[in-house]
Amino acid sequence: MNLERREEVNFYLCISPWLLGFLVFILGPILASFWFSLTRWDLLSPPRFVGMRNYTRMFEDELFWTSLSVTVRYTLMYVPSELIGGLLLALLMNQRGVFGIRGLRTIYYLPSVLSGVAFVVVWMWLFHPEAGLINSTLARVGIDGPRWLTNPQTALTALWIMSLWGLGRTALIFLAGLKQVPPELYEAAAIDGAGTLPAFWNITLPMITPAIFFNLVLSIIATFQTFTSAFVATNGGPLDSTLFFVLYLYRRAFQMFTMGYASALAWVLFVVILALTLLVVRSGRWWVYYEGEAR
Amino acid sequence: MSKHFRLWIALLLLAAVAVGCAAPPVTVTQPLVVTATPAPLPEGAKIVLRVGTGDSGEGLTPHLKIIEMFEAENPDIQVQLEPVGSGDYYARILTQIAAGDPPDLLQIGDDAVPLFVDKGAFVALDQWITSAEYPLDTGIYLPGMLEPGQWNGGQYLLPKDYSPLAVYYNKTLFDAAGVAYPQEDWTWDDFLSAAQALTISDADGKTTQWGVQLPGAWTTGFEYWVAAAGGRLISEDGSTFLGAMDSPEVQEAVQFYADLYNKHKVAPPPADMNAFGGGNSEFDNGVAAMRIFGRWPQAGMKQNPAIDLGIASMPAGKVRANVLFWGGFGISSLSTHPEAAWRFLSYYVGAQGAEVWKDWALPAVASVADEAGLTTDPIEGVWIGELYHLAPRAYVSTPFWGQTADPALHRVLETVILQPDADVAALLSTAAADAQKALDDMNE
Repeated sequence: MNLERREEVNFYLCISPWLLGFLVFILGPILASFWFSLTRWDLLSPPRFVGMRNYTRMFEDELFWTSLSVTVRYTLMYVPSELIGGLLLALLMNQRGVFGIRGLRTIYYLPSVLSGVAFVVVWMWLFHPEAGLINSTLARVGIDGPRWLTNPQTALTALWIMSLWGLGRTALIFLAGLKQVPPELYEAAAIDGAGTLPAFWNITLPMITPAIFFNLVLSIIATFQTFTSAFVATNGGPLDSTLFFVLYLYRRAFQMFTMGYASALAWVLFVVILALTLLVVRSGRWWVYYEGEAR
Repeated sequence: MSKHFRLWIALLLLAAVAVGCAAPPVTVTQPLVVTATPAPLPEGAKIVLRVGTGDSGEGLTPHLKIIEMFEAENPDIQVQLEPVGSGDYYARILTQIAAGDPPDLLQIGDDAVPLFVDKGAFVALDQWITSAEYPLDTGIYLPGMLEPGQWNGGQYLLPKDYSPLAVYYNKTLFDAAGVAYPQEDWTWDDFLSAAQALTISDADGKTTQWGVQLPGAWTTGFEYWVAAAGGRLISEDGSTFLGAMDSPEVQEAVQFYADLYNKHKVAPPPADMNAFGGGNSEFDNGVAAMRIFGRWPQAGMKQNPAIDLGIASMPAGKVRANVLFWGGFGISSLSTHPEAAWRFLSYYVGAQGAEVWKDWALPAVASVADEAGLTTDPIEGVWIGELYHLAPRAYVSTPFWGQTADPALHRVLETVILQPDADVAALLSTAAADAQKALDDMNE
């Protein structure tokens, strides 16, 4: 065996646990779910083949459109705010010579480590219409706060505020990006008389486009999969105002036991996320700058 | 940009994809807990029975007690309790059935009986009930105990525990307001005037005490209001919602319920929309005089110093009515030991089992309730008395209640509670049409 061959064998040996796990536990169910999406199946009786009926049914299913629209609206709210908020936080955390900056970074990142359900339950208390910290603070300044989670007008906003608490994860990746920007660029700019804002605009932003790109892709995927906050805090309500796509899928599968339809929903979600991701990846060639790449 | 950064990104992406995949179904993928009695004994002569239950924690104690008693009397059988717990109980046992390996005995709620039985998950018990060797006298039960376990004329499940609805009231608040305690024959009008007399506002018009804490958009409990108004949610043969769910009687029920929230303002607005929030707490905090609910939180209320507890029957509308929540056990049609399973089941749901259950919930067996003094107890006696006024459940008429009328009715209730100016008649006619469309679709 020559070196190249041996390396190849080693590669497959090292990656085999993941590969086996994927083939047995993930690929199988993925393929099976496609088959089930072409059937009606209640788990109790054998699946019955119905062709594309589950897919055509979605067009008449009001809740399908509701859940899609809730998810898209939430993505449009959340993704930009996460990117801008995360970047601002990273810029703050990137300050030099601020006392206790390391401790602050830890504190800002902490919410991202907390378990999803515990995190949401804490926020439900904060949002409590009478006893909650948010409304009692608002009351102090004379504002009669809304019934956040039980009002169809405010529930989605409440979930949005709740999720922004996890900005630390995004900020951390931006921070890593900021740390990679060579200081000599700023020195050169300073010598040429550039101020803070032009330096940010012309040096920082272009240099961290890979981090922005990465966070954008990740954020879109994650928001399309939003489940825990809506499941725990609002259960999709009030009046389906927080009925996220994955929550609807879960209901169809594990509360209504219409497994065929739920599988079809999962495939539609997969195609939507894949299409959006490809769109962002394709667009990347116009706005993402990798140092050392010839243009 | 350095190689390190790319590597970072690649690693994070990988981690994120893994997390992303795992995140949504967290609640579905908890490992199956199998505990209780130890592994089969070495003799090997014993039949091992598996019993699936949705109970958990403290709730397992009565199961284990009954199993212990049964095993002592039946040395040839060993019973293994398999608690599944949590809200995904049905999904779990459906998966076990689909995999061909469910427990021999399964516990399910009344709402799931039609679906499971219709699809052949349970064996009919009638031949066993009347068998010469191990007969079961079904005359021992309190009223309403057998019907939820029946489907298409057969008996498929037998009662484990149950609860009707009742009105909890706080005597301290009634006394303070000088309102008489509810009488057994009270009506919706009496109920409303009591609730109004018990609702108190401060100088700013802010309500400081509520007349009654209601269970919000709780569809299965709402059927009481429909039945008391003389209506029903589905046609008797279970084939259609049209002409039932949108009938004048149901309109009246919804209107009366909605008015308690928005017109008379005697009920606090719902605190949340789901199970994790714990719901409203006004009654527990001593700022609501009444609460309509099942018996489940009663033990805690008895110990609550803010409450001097009384229980009243549900008020009569056009008719006196109540609805039952019921859990039962049946034998899986895939069980390889049906006879042993029946021996355990008949013991469990018979007088011996009820003797244990009476310390945990209301017993289903009439003589056990009598001998324990529950029938004449000022609190427990009310619950048992309500069994003589049960209305039939809509979900016993169709296997597809959860996919059809339940979401439609839920939407109606949410709407009328949140939107005071909602048009009840129009909402119900849409709901009936939606439910019907879903039903036709399920039957397709």
